[in-house]
Amino acid sequence: MKLTRMALILFALLLPAISRAQTPVPYDRIVKADSEPANWLTYGGNFFDQRFSRLKQFTPANVGGLKLAWAYQPSRPAGNVETSPIVVDGIMYVTEPPSTVTALDAHNGAKLWSWSPLLHNVVAIGLFQTNRGVAVMDNRVFVATIDAHLVALDAKSGAVLWNTVVADNKLGYAITSAPLAIDGKVLIGTGGSEAAVRGLMDGYDAKTGKRLWRIWTVPAPGEPGADTWGNSTPAGGTAWNAPAYDPKLNLVYWGTGNPAPDWNGDDRPGANLYTCSLLAIDPSDGKVKWYFQFSPHETHDWDASEPPILFDQAVDGQMRKLLGFANRNGFYYVLDRETGEFVAGMPYVKETWAKGLDAKGQPIVIPNTEPTPEGNLVFPSITGAINWTSNSYSPLTKLFYVDAREMGSYFVKGSNTHWEMGKFPMNAGGERALSGDDAYGAIRALDATTGKMKWEFRLHSPSWVGTLATAGGLVFSGSDEGDFFALDAETGKPLWEIYLGSSLRSNPATYAVDGKQYVFVTAGTTYFVFGLP
Amino acid sequence: MKAVRAVCSCAATFFVCALAAQAQIPRDPTPVVAKTSATDLAQGKLFYEATCSKCHGLDGGGSDGPSLQGVAQQLGDDEVGKIIRGGIPGTGMNGFSMSADEAGQVVGYLRTLGSTADMEIAKGDPAKGKQVYESSGCRACHIIDGEGGGIGPELTRVGSMRGPSYFRTTLLAPGTILPKEAGAMERGRFTQYLFVHVMTKDGHSYEGTRVYEDSFTIEIKDATGKFHGFKKLDLAKLEKLPGHSVMPSFKGTLSDAQLDDLIAYLASLKGAPTP
Repeated sequence: MKLTRMALILFALLLPAISRAQTPVPYDRIVKADSEPANWLTYGGNFFDQRFSRLKQFTPANVGGLKLAWAYQPSRPAGNVETSPIVVDGIMYVTEPPSTVTALDAHNGAKLWSWSPLLHNVVAIGLFQTNRGVAVMDNRVFVATIDAHLVALDAKSGAVLWNTVVADNKLGYAITSAPLAIDGKVLIGTGGSEAAVRGLMDGYDAKTGKRLWRIWTVPAPGEPGADTWGNSTPAGGTAWNAPAYDPKLNLVYWGTGNPAPDWNGDDRPGANLYTCSLLAIDPSDGKVKWYFQFSPHETHDWDASEPPILFDQAVDGQMRKLLGFANRNGFYYVLDRETGEFVAGMPYVKETWAKGLDAKGQPIVIPNTEPTPEGNLVFPSITGAINWTSNSYSPLTKLFYVDAREMGSYFVKGSNTHWEMGKFPMNAGGERALSGDDAYGAIRALDATTGKMKWEFRLHSPSWVGTLATAGGLVFSGSDEGDFFALDAETGKPLWEIYLGSSLRSNPATYAVDGKQYVFVTAGTTYFVFGLP
Repeated sequence: MKAVRAVCSCAATFFVCALAAQAQIPRDPTPVVAKTSATDLAQGKLFYEATCSKCHGLDGGGSDGPSLQGVAQQLGDDEVGKIIRGGIPGTGMNGFSMSADEAGQVVGYLRTLGSTADMEIAKGDPAKGKQVYESSGCRACHIIDGEGGGIGPELTRVGSMRGPSYFRTTLLAPGTILPKEAGAMERGRFTQYLFVHVMTKDGHSYEGTRVYEDSFTIEIKDATGKFHGFKKLDLAKLEKLPGHSVMPSFKGTLSDAQLDDLIAYLASLKGAPTP
């Protein structure tokens, strides 16, 4: 009798582990991520990076009843937590700063395993030592580390399967973004434009970690495109944020960052290809199919590194395969994602540097908006109308939800035009920030095909939180002061908020386990999950 | 003290710092002493504006990195010099390779940041000014050396940061020049002691200085030190009134001599030296 009871208790204790056993995530399953909304299978929820969930248990009527389900706190978070989770069949994979991967039981936040790289004398110039998430495919979890390695871990145990050096961290290459895993390959880029590195986009064999191809995002002297750099050595243009992918077109859409040196472009006359651009890449061979440069000859640090969102929608009565892009430079762009053709675009924040966009989507630049030695007030600010966070798109409302940053900077021109790779650039220029009272943030709903604003919800200050849209008719986001909140996706009306005590710095995500929907976000160094009681 | 800039790879701003963290010791052990000749200050300014200001703001009030206003006064020249030369490991604060004299120029310039302590010499009598302070009700709202009320700013060290003309303006037209909060992460610095008037939807009015605000709530402290918190959705009116203050003006209530004495007293408040 006693033995039976003990066996039952043991069985009950083992049950969660059994039921939460990791299941493989073959590529085909990720392609059809929308058909299993309980899981969150890629950085942006699906390959289109829409951050839209078909879960609809949370509705405008009941979202006010959300309560904390669980919270997880890393034992030694060394920096800002900016992770976006992956959830697979009850297991959540998150990252902790700077480069730790942790698997959690998505029911209750219990830690299943954790892996950290050995890091020594990390060089991190122009970026903060954090990590924004992993990719999952088959039985593997892929993470890129701050010292510019790409690592494959066993999804069940966290054991290292392979560990590949992407680039030399001593030269300033460092990685904070989540990789993209597609059909036997893992794609990753790096940061480091402020360390004057040469930007790159890499494709690796998911099984072996062997590099299959590399795209240099700026040309070597003498290569095609070098004539857009004057006599300078092209540098920068790093791909430091997550790309989107269209499996049918077999194209990866990936943004690039600023040229180096930044706030002084005197020595690099020309467009400086392919900086501040979006590249459409064939991942089978790493060839660039087309590119679209948003900010030619950029001098304000307005990287085009925001994750693009892919969607299909009618324009002038004709269905189009489109790409929406809320750029750090203050403009929202709609491109044809098959051809790269400019479809529409307009500012989604106050901007004072361009009169508008011409028929090809190129900015009509207003004279005297460059950085000056004294500081030149230009909107948006150096951190931009948006920065690294992700937007969302709802195929139900056909709206594009952006966390807009209404802020300007006095842009200061640097005197140093010769940045050395791997070295902190002295006298580089930068910004003098405006007072906090002169800035604010807003969650804005834009017509996805035009950029026209349908509604906004004002925030006290510019935020660093992405948006999440759900089929229940909600948009989740957060504030820099520490509020996590839900808005009505149709009207922007605030429906629920909770104060979490510290700045939110991650894209929210939603998932379900045992048939119950949950929503995830981080604030400070705590990972929060909310659900209905 | 907060780290900063989540901003990725690209960022312009290089970041952060944690003054509470341990500075790395520079190889050259020569102590750093603030150098304050006009040439030294000009050199310090040049370096600061070209390099430090990206994270700490041109006026030292903080941006991505923390506010440096008053930091040398609080930590001492050598401690700040060690941070400049050695950096703070694990943060965005890099060490800069420079001699103790060069660091002294930067520290000398740091000492001027945020300081409105100008060359004007307070002409009154600080001892008499202390009596004016006590008899004019100032201590009801301000703390000096742990004594007094906490409605307005603490004044223990105010003389090391503010000069006579600032005190005169503030005493005669309170609210005209308001300090900014220390640098917050990527968010800009908000005005402190901002005067706010709110009216609730049920018709009640409140006014006082803003102590907290976010997208959903605002808290104010009234002239009696009482806190009032509101949900913004419950308010019929929310007015921010720069230039106003809960502090009364002393224009006409103090004689010119009393004003001079009070200013001399405030200018003498440098706080206890940091051990």
